[in-house]
Amino acid sequence: MGALIRALAARLVQAALVALLVGVACFAIVELLPGDQAYRVASARYGEDMASGKAAEAVRAELGLDRPWPIRLAAWLGGIATFDLGVSLVSGENVAVELGHQFGATLGLSLLALALSAAVGIPLGIAMALRGGALDAGGLVVAAALRATPAYLIGLGLMLLIAVQWGLLPAAGYDNAAAWPLPAATLALGLAAMSMRVTRDAAARVLARADTHFARTKGLPESAVLRRHVLRNAGVPVVAYLGVQLVWLVEGVVVVESLFSWPGIGHALIHAVIARDVPMLQGTALTMGLLFVALNAAVDLLCLAIDPRGRRA
Amino acid sequence: MSAAPMLAVKGLSVHAGGKALVRDVDLRVAAGECLVVMGESGSGKSLLAHAIMGDLAPGLVARGEVSVAGERIDALTQDERRAFWGKRIALLPQEPWLSLDPLMRVESQIAETHALVAGRDWANAKACAAKDLGRLGLSASARQLPFRLSGGMAQRVAIAATMAAEAGLLIADEPTKGLDADACAGVAASLRAQMEHGRAVVVVTHDIGLARALGGRIAVMRNADMVETGDTRDVLSAPRHDYTKMFVAADPAKWPRPVAHTGGAPVLRGESLSAARGAKTLFEAVDVTLARGEIACVQGPSGGGKTTLGAVLLGLLPPQRGVVRRADGVEAWRYQKLYQDPVAAFAPYSSLRMALDDVVRLHGGEWAAVEAILARLSVPLDLLDRPPSQVSGGELQRVAIARALIVDPVFLFADEPTSRLDPPIQRATMELLRELAGERGLAMLLVTHDPDLAAAMSARDPIRIG
Ligand SMILES: Nc1ncnc2c1ncn2[C@@H]1O[C@H](COP(=O)(O)OP(=O)(O)OP(=O)(O)O)[C@@H](O)[C@H]1O
Ligand SMILES: [Mg+2]
Repeated sequence: MGALIRALAARLVQAALVALLVGVACFAIVELLPGDQAYRVASARYGEDMASGKAAEAVRAELGLDRPWPIRLAAWLGGIATFDLGVSLVSGENVAVELGHQFGATLGLSLLALALSAAVGIPLGIAMALRGGALDAGGLVVAAALRATPAYLIGLGLMLLIAVQWGLLPAAGYDNAAAWPLPAATLALGLAAMSMRVTRDAAARVLARADTHFARTKGLPESAVLRRHVLRNAGVPVVAYLGVQLVWLVEGVVVVESLFSWPGIGHALIHAVIARDVPMLQGTALTMGLLFVALNAAVDLLCLAIDPRGRRA
Repeated sequence: MSAAPMLAVKGLSVHAGGKALVRDVDLRVAAGECLVVMGESGSGKSLLAHAIMGDLAPGLVARGEVSVAGERIDALTQDERRAFWGKRIALLPQEPWLSLDPLMRVESQIAETHALVAGRDWANAKACAAKDLGRLGLSASARQLPFRLSGGMAQRVAIAATMAAEAGLLIADEPTKGLDADACAGVAASLRAQMEHGRAVVVVTHDIGLARALGGRIAVMRNADMVETGDTRDVLSAPRHDYTKMFVAADPAKWPRPVAHTGGAPVLRGESLSAARGAKTLFEAVDVTLARGEIACVQGPSGGGKTTLGAVLLGLLPPQRGVVRRADGVEAWRYQKLYQDPVAAFAPYSSLRMALDDVVRLHGGEWAAVEAILARLSVPLDLLDRPPSQVSGGELQRVAIARALIVDPVFLFADEPTSRLDPPIQRATMELLRELAGERGLAMLLVTHDPDLAAAMSARDPIRIG
């Protein structure tokens, strides 16, 4: 149990640091962006044509943008600490409420993509390690090609082919189940390429080990050797690598959501940047960061579940 | 019962490329009997065992006849031979510590063979595993993971897992290496029990005591050939072949006794050291002082904490109580350790030459000096181009010794450094280490289960642990 508590405590500290860093960084980014903040907000709110100097002054007064920056920063950080994320400078809506809607969309997409990539990448990687030969060589080439292709290119390719050319699925939207496969597949392809590669290397290593050989000479049938020994041992590096894949996932979510107009956190983040909507920017970045930490904590727990060696000491 | 012996081998050879590693071996072992295979390290004993089992590494080719209970198996396909594994031929591997699944609890690794090989239902299989562990004195470790086992404990677990399905032929590759006298007697007793159950037993060993205890017949191998066979007790008491004579004469009990060490500045001093692993106290208030060039021995039961003492002395594990002091002005890396398990000391996929060369370059040593040491240890240089998995256990152990000596150590914690060596090479190795102690002032703490070896290496009373 000690290791479990330690792992969770470390992630909790990480979450607090993420919150602090995001708060300060978001604030600094917007301070350093060129152009007058109040004016940008006014034009985002009332439209480019309606944004007059007067409207900007009104916004400045309403949001306290004329206070000195240390005071505004302190107010922001205080807000984060009390989970009061303020109101969107653009829509005037409560940020936490908006995030609540978007979070479901992003979490669903991320989990679906992770599940898809595991369902494709792990069995393929194991098959490559077991069979070798052409399957292995071909798989490695495909994995390398997929990994070298940026997510937006994969997404565009899928969109053009499946949505535009064949008309099988909608290119954008969120409302029905048909909208899910394309963005999820875009995210999953890159992830699957990585897990296939890692699974293959891990399985090949375990298959060549003395303990696997002993499992065979003890007399276990090959299916039991794989099921009881190889899979679990190969699973240790595969799950540990999930932590690395999460970085890619968080990046990919931002790109893919924008590409497919997916109403999630990543999409909202890009919009917040364009509109210089500090509370929204901060809220979305914070949510992404905390989602990253939470998924990593889940990976930690999974690691402890698979590899009992770390549980004590 | 048919008249056919449990194991019959005729004209068996093993080749790697054009090189013969086992040449034209004939063997017969009847049910209830025992054959001891003894001989030089690297002479092909383990390969002979694998050729009978049918699990030679890729690149090695076996030729010749192998029959089990009258049934020819040498021409069978790999899958057909595999059907014999565990059920009719059981092989206890030379490195059990590496052979256990690091993520599976000890009891499950035994229970699964009872269930999946012997075909018992799981509840029964678990009960059988618990009984096996009790018989081997390992009940307390049933729920542990292999990394918490000592080398000797892992050996016993592997024996239980190997024999769960009660195969008629048991091949054991050095079952007593690194075990203390009690554990050795336990292994000998359990092998004899297997014979009494009507099984044929083939034991590869360097341990003359084990050979005597088992009796039966003996085959002595050298350089891929079987040079002498006969009744075990006769051959050991009146060897005919020169190599066998040398082998028997190299018994540590017959080495000249050392003189007491005097003088020299202290290299390492451990004062009232205590250590524990988990909740279990391993040793308390142990004092160790070594002067330059001095050799002392550590003895104690298997799993008692000898290796842990080494970790404490080398600063790899903080002691619970007590302090360790080193000589001033000596670089930390000149305090060296020889692992009990030579395989664990090498990266599995790179060649041995690379492993040695890395150390030579890092410490500005000379390659010629390494080759000189390897020659003294009778290690053929051509095997350096192979990875550790493709050399014999004893060859790897000597390469590990050579590597530790490259950095000109002032202190060496040598954990069973000759456990995989035959007596003549063990003697050559120990003489080399003793010479280095005299010439370079190398201090050595030698862990050994063999009281004769301890007495031959140091006039000091051994430090007792556990
Ligand atoms: N895969 C391999 N390819 C080539 N040569 C090998 C391979 N495995 C072992 N050898 C060589 O074959 C010879 C016999 O090896 P083997 O393991 O049978 O020795 P051994 O008699 O068991 O020695 P030890 O007592 O040290 O364990 C050694 O010289 C070894 O280097
Ligand atoms: Mg061997």
